[in-house]
Amino acid sequence: MRSMRRPELWRTTTFRLALVYGAVFAAGIVALLGLVYTSAAVYLTQQMDEIVVGQAHALRIVPPAALPDKFREIVREDVRNVNFCGLFAPDGAWIAGNVKQLPAGTPVDGRSRELKAPGFQPGARALAERLPSGQILFVGFDAKVLSGLRSIVLRSLIWSGGLIFVLGLSLGAALSLGPLRRVQAVQLASLPILEGDVGARLPTSARGDEIDMLATITNGMMDEVERLLWAVKSVGDNVAHDLRTPLTRLRALLYRVREQIGPSGAHADMLDQALGETDTLLGRFKAIQRVSEIDRRERRAGFASVQLQALVREISELYEPLADDHGLRLSAETAAACEIMADRELLFEAFANLVGNAVKFTPPGGTIRLRLSDLPEGPRLEITDTGPGVPEDEREAVLERFYRGRRAPSAPGSGLGLSIVAAVARLHDFRLTLSDAAPGLRVTLDCWPTAMIY
Amino acid sequence: MSRILTIEDDETTAREIVSELHRHGFQPEWAADGRAGLIRAVSGEFDAVTLDRMLPGVDGLTIVSVMRSTGIDIPVLMISALTEVDERVRGLRAGGDDYMTKPFASEEMRARLEVLLRRARAQPRQTSLRVQDLELDLISREVRRGGREIALLPTEFKLLEFLMRNHGQVLTRTMIFEAIWGYHFDPGTNLIDVHLGRLRRKVDAPGLEPLIRTIRGSGYALNASA
Repeated sequence: MRSMRRPELWRTTTFRLALVYGAVFAAGIVALLGLVYTSAAVYLTQQMDEIVVGQAHALRIVPPAALPDKFREIVREDVRNVNFCGLFAPDGAWIAGNVKQLPAGTPVDGRSRELKAPGFQPGARALAERLPSGQILFVGFDAKVLSGLRSIVLRSLIWSGGLIFVLGLSLGAALSLGPLRRVQAVQLASLPILEGDVGARLPTSARGDEIDMLATITNGMMDEVERLLWAVKSVGDNVAHDLRTPLTRLRALLYRVREQIGPSGAHADMLDQALGETDTLLGRFKAIQRVSEIDRRERRAGFASVQLQALVREISELYEPLADDHGLRLSAETAAACEIMADRELLFEAFANLVGNAVKFTPPGGTIRLRLSDLPEGPRLEITDTGPGVPEDEREAVLERFYRGRRAPSAPGSGLGLSIVAAVARLHDFRLTLSDAAPGLRVTLDCWPTAMIY
Repeated sequence: MSRILTIEDDETTAREIVSELHRHGFQPEWAADGRAGLIRAVSGEFDAVTLDRMLPGVDGLTIVSVMRSTGIDIPVLMISALTEVDERVRGLRAGGDDYMTKPFASEEMRARLEVLLRRARAQPRQTSLRVQDLELDLISREVRRGGREIALLPTEFKLLEFLMRNHGQVLTRTMIFEAIWGYHFDPGTNLIDVHLGRLRRKVDAPGLEPLIRTIRGSGYALNASA
């Protein structure tokens, strides 16, 4: 059915674009900072290795007796507290330096590597080597710079990430609001089109952006739809209208001749037949025009409060003699008092056509039931007959103009009765359905608007 | 002899109306545009007017409004190419007495005009109607034929009243449907025939002179021969 979703901010293209941009930007920043961090870390590690190796080299040439003094000097001068050093006896006992115990598992091979021991920051570098005297020399360099750099990078990531997220969301929302408002305007403008006003157009602005482009395309299509619709309607209308005048004159002539020759004149019967046929033709053209006339009516122009109960009773009184004449039983069941806003005359015409059809197609001895029930959604009118019914594949088609169906090709009538009913239902936005009453046909008219437009 | 003013700008239609009225004993006069029509309409020389809705100069609605505001209350039959229901309502609201759409059968136009003229001439305080031996009491709502009471349903009563008020007058099925049921669509010929048939069985009982006559190709008349 015709339904429309209210546009939501977070669904707009602009908003999604802003989010995607934000995510890509954040990923870029993460990559950039990561790259800076790893290159700096690699460089700093090399630097620390060189410092450690250089220091070990410098200590190696110090005479063993002067080493403890040298160690104390190093510790004293190390104001930043980044240098580790220790001198241990061959059995591992501490001799000098600020490292009191050789970290466990440290290979004594003179190569600088990462120092993984409690009490040292991750990333610290150190080496241990055996001096010619058998003593073990331990030299290390703490990774304070490295961990400082890491926390800087981390903090930058958190701040910039948060900023990008907040900015992206608010920018997306801000940028989406404009287009969203225009989409809402378009949606509002398209309501009359959905309601059946093919003359309505979507608004366009001078900006010429993508919404304007779409609106222009839609308007172009609507122009074409309107033109075609008008062409289709006017063909039927014009034919009907143009033929009605000469037909009326033809009938007038026939009637005049019929009047002049009197009731018992020659060919009186044939003239009566000719008059009858002309009347049938005129009736059919009148019905075609009637359908377009109802379709052309402005919605709700003639709407007023209608008592459906009274209407159904009136219909059943009007058709009871005709049904009786056809050997049919016509019953009306109006359980509830139903009042709706509708065009009374047109509704009556629709009901009359439905009952007229039922009378026409139901064989003698049958029953026609009118039932008015009050559903929660609104009143429902059902007309059930015991006739041959309409095959399922024909139920849509019988609502179209001129469709006569297989059920009774010889039945009199314009074949437009149901088209008129369908037009009245369209005008009211009521749902008209045909179903199988087993046996017979059930026509249901739901007397409440079916379009769901929010 | 009734004098009829026909205000109509289409010559073919005007000639049709004028000749139909002429052949049936009216004295028609043709005004071809709104201005001339308005001047003649307020002259007080006519018994009824057929008025085209769409006219050059002064249009039909204005003419009938001016006529009513100057106290001219002769019957006005409005004729229009506009078929919309709203147009009919507008025409009648402006002061028209009946409304017909083009194209129309001229005898239906004449029949409608005759009904309007008869209604205008009817005595306002009539309490009963009488056609030959058929009597209809408008107050007690009793119907008698030759003194014998006939029981009628409300719709049948309305139908008979309409026929009796216009006795001798041909009434088309459309006119009957509009007058009794008040709707303006084509209900199909059978529907009205069946109602008339029921009424006829009650009014024209076997052995009595038939009063309700079927006029072939047109409609019905009560005692049309008399």
